[in-house]
Amino acid sequence: MTARLQFFLLSALGVYFILIFYLLTKKRINLKYTLLWLAFGVVMLVFAAFPQLLRICTEFVGVETPMNGLFAMLIFAVLVILMSLTAIVSKLNEKSKRIIQALALLEKRVRELEGKDGKGT
Amino acid sequence: MKVLMIIPAYNEAENIAAVIRHLAAEAPEVDYVVVNDCSKDSTAAVCKENGFHLISLPINLGIGGGVQTGYLYALEKGYDIAVQFDGDGQHDAAYIKDLIAPIESGQADVVIGSRFVENKGFQSSAARRFGIRFLSGLIKLLCGVRVRDVTSGMRAVNRGMIEKFAQNYAQDYPEPEAILFSALAHARIMEVPVQMRERQGGTSSINLVRSMYYMVKVSIALMVARVSMRGECG
Repeated sequence: MTARLQFFLLSALGVYFILIFYLLTKKRINLKYTLLWLAFGVVMLVFAAFPQLLRICTEFVGVETPMNGLFAMLIFAVLVILMSLTAIVSKLNEKSKRIIQALALLEKRVRELEGKDGKGT
Repeated sequence: MKVLMIIPAYNEAENIAAVIRHLAAEAPEVDYVVVNDCSKDSTAAVCKENGFHLISLPINLGIGGGVQTGYLYALEKGYDIAVQFDGDGQHDAAYIKDLIAPIESGQADVVIGSRFVENKGFQSSAARRFGIRFLSGLIKLLCGVRVRDVTSGMRAVNRGMIEKFAQNYAQDYPEPEAILFSALAHARIMEVPVQMRERQGGTSSINLVRSMYYMVKVSIALMVARVSMRGECG
């Protein structure tokens, strides 16, 4: 890894962390959903700061050039984050279903109390 | 015993009044509630005009979410038996007593109204029967219980299963999954012969394009349910 590449990698990571902290301080994102982003950022930071470590790791798994190893890791990290997003969406779906059901039951109860529900039969 | 008919309805403005009147005539001793799953037509208005018992979902949840709302209502109101009964006119209220009899006598926990015990009445298309047979075989393989009409929306369950379904019920295309779930929860499942009619108006919620999605989704859901419930039923 050239010094130039290392410089730009570290700069990009700097922007990445500033963006996350900016969104966190503005309360646009919840910390609990940001932990994965931060964790992957730290891993990237370690590899950018110590290219030797990156070379050892990529050679160990059989990838020839360190940058390809970095790309593979990034893609894996993105997939994990996407899966966690699907899990979050599913949980929200379940929660909204419960709210909708509770709301519908309450609405029926209001009509019952008003004497409007089930008069016909 | 207190019996509640849960009648899911989506875009059934044309059918719902006739269904409820027929029900009131055939089975006046049971209570019912229509669950309107945020229909785009005037289903809710028709029910209100006629003074029917109605739960009206403010947002569309799919058949499973709607039926589960009915189970939540049955749980809250202390019903002993809940009967699912479609709001589109396919089901015949004359069979309600056959559905609830095995539960009242304690012979079964879940009773399915089945078109394929006596093979009478509307039998559905060959392609659908093949799909139903496949899912029936898959359920037999996964839990050892043979149910022929796994997609039948006409079924009765006892208080124990009302509690379980209020907790856990699939959101879309829930019928086969609910059978496997019941079997894995050690419920005794029984099929009783019923005849169904072709729908009398409106449009079915399952068209040809969705059939593939249906088969894939339900098959995967069944296998996942089998694996995730292993711990609970030994």
